[in-house]
Amino acid sequence: MTKYGLVIDQERCIGCHACAVTCKQENNVPMGQFWNRVLTEGGDHIDTPSGTFPDPGEASTLDMAYQPTACQHCENAPCVKVCPVNATYTRDDGIVEIDYDKCIGCRYCMAACPYNARVFNWDEPEQMPEEGTGDVPARPQGVVEKCTFCSHRVEEGLDPACVVNCPADARIFGDLDDETSTVTKYIDRYETDRLLEDRGTDPKTYYISGEMSPGRPQRSEKLESELDERPSASNSDDDADSGGDEGGYGDSGASHSLDGDPMPHVPAVKQGGDD
Amino acid sequence: MTDQPTSGRVVISEFGPRGKAWIGLLAALVVAGVVAWGYQLTTGLVVTGMRNVFSWGLYIMMFVLFVGLSAGGLIISSAPKFFHSDRYEGFARLGVLVSLGCITVAGLLILPDIGRPERLYQFFTTPDFRSPMVWDFGIVVLYGVLNTWYLWLLTRRDLAARGSRLAFGVEDTDGGRKRDRTLLFWTASLALPTAVALHSVTGWIFATQIGRGDWFSPLVAPVFIAKALVSGLGLLLVVSLLADRFTGFRVDREELASLGKILGIFLAFHVVYLLAAERLPHAWASHFEFWAITGTFLVGESAYFWLWTVLGGAVPLFMLAVPSLRKRPSVIFTAGLLAVFGTMFEGIRLVFTGYNVANIDLPPGISVGGEYGGITTDIWATTGSYTPTLVEVAITLGIVAIGALIVTLGLRYVPLQRTEGQPVHATDGGERGDR
Repeated sequence: MTKYGLVIDQERCIGCHACAVTCKQENNVPMGQFWNRVLTEGGDHIDTPSGTFPDPGEASTLDMAYQPTACQHCENAPCVKVCPVNATYTRDDGIVEIDYDKCIGCRYCMAACPYNARVFNWDEPEQMPEEGTGDVPARPQGVVEKCTFCSHRVEEGLDPACVVNCPADARIFGDLDDETSTVTKYIDRYETDRLLEDRGTDPKTYYISGEMSPGRPQRSEKLESELDERPSASNSDDDADSGGDEGGYGDSGASHSLDGDPMPHVPAVKQGGDD
Repeated sequence: MTDQPTSGRVVISEFGPRGKAWIGLLAALVVAGVVAWGYQLTTGLVVTGMRNVFSWGLYIMMFVLFVGLSAGGLIISSAPKFFHSDRYEGFARLGVLVSLGCITVAGLLILPDIGRPERLYQFFTTPDFRSPMVWDFGIVVLYGVLNTWYLWLLTRRDLAARGSRLAFGVEDTDGGRKRDRTLLFWTASLALPTAVALHSVTGWIFATQIGRGDWFSPLVAPVFIAKALVSGLGLLLVVSLLADRFTGFRVDREELASLGKILGIFLAFHVVYLLAAERLPHAWASHFEFWAITGTFLVGESAYFWLWTVLGGAVPLFMLAVPSLRKRPSVIFTAGLLAVFGTMFEGIRLVFTGYNVANIDLPPGISVGGEYGGITTDIWATTGSYTPTLVEVAITLGIVAIGALIVTLGLRYVPLQRTEGQPVHATDGGERGDR
């Protein structure tokens, strides 16, 4: 089985909010809402540390870190259990997703989520520009929405937008059931925490703190947008045109089996993850 | 059961000018509520005070209250029947009518809370039986059906005797009345566990949620039972005294005083005992000094707490405990009203404790959503805050008015008064179901 998960290296995170912004663009997240937000661990305000500036002869106690927070894609997801009409469900690959055509907008899932990861369309969602920037299904007024691990990208063999566009390589996406994946290796190798672990929700998002990891492995010299031809992926079951559906990323379809330097921990045949 | 088959009569023979004005007022409230709901449907829930952090508001708070209010009548009328007693018989029919009105209000209050009500049919097509909301939906519907059946069963022979079409072809015979008494016993034995299930399941909607502070407590379901007893009985006493004042309905003073005492016991159990049982372990565990423990135990954290415990708890409890006071109808009326009032704030407090603190409250916080007013809009919040809007109040009042209409029309068309040979009183107009 595939079980997608995310590792976020808080030692690498520079608090640039690129993941939050790219998430908004990729998923047409409405104005006034965020699926993915970068929180400051430290002071009372964004980008402020806790502690005090060093006085002469004393050590500084200033401390600050960033905690990017989105849907944690819990194994024991309370939101899935409370949804009265099965609109929120766990996919076979572990991604917790919402069927926007089914959601009745009762917001019980928002009450259930301990992470406040879900947002509700209180009015007709508004994008800038009006037609949006991403190629994802539109969500109407009156339904709940949230991070999908960019399942539309994962199905194409791509990493989520927040992972690809993290300039610090602090986000690593992959299959937690695959012992050779980077995410599994990092979780074994580094000290990781999950948010509100005491609630027993068993999230599939892990946070590295303490020792910095090497970050997300780079697999190509080129950006997705620079790929001028589709990789000769032997295992690809995409048809020739499917890459064109990738809104905003031009000729994409970059998959895990780019030629060049396949990393040893990259799954050979799985779709998605570690691209 | 009495030896003589009880018969009943209608307490409002005709709506006088006051009755018509009362119905007109209720109808106006319903119309205003429908208009407000139409506005909310087209504009979105943005017209409410709810936002992403505080995502349930007045509708759910009042749903909780009215589910509780629906308990009193059915329990007061079915518990004696279950034990083959005819105690509180004078309240039985009115009680079931009030229950029916309240559960209708509770069920309807869910509608405006739903973002896309046109999709509600999916409760039937693709339910997830893990969801406490599915359980609650089922039990609210069952309870409503049971109330309707029960009220009809209680009154159908009298309706037949009056030649009312509401008898639906049932004939008024002695054999039929006897059979009905057996049926009433079986209905009562089904109604009691259903009532217990209704309040427990509504409590479990909250008590199962590990992500919302104080909601996650095994005590929530028993507390819901207790507050249903308190508020339900309180409302029944209030409505029966209003009906006594404004219609031909006559309250048996002895039964009234006895129910007043029972309300006092329910209040003591709920506001004193269960609340203490809930608060003491937390206060003890989080403090070291004796007075710190005692202080935390006794002193609540919000205005809702005080409105509930003092105005809705200690004051009515005192009124019902003093022997020289507790037999007076005016005292019982006020105590019942305060009990309902206090229970309302207990529900409000429960929703607030779940939403006013976020588990992860790091800055900048959670995007609240709603109307986006441009780049200077502050879309972030680290705590939840909520004030109901006029639209929410109008919709809620409209739905409550529907419940009051049900009770008013019931007083007019359903024989609610048990007759014991006393002359039929001339009615002086409308009734006021203060609800």
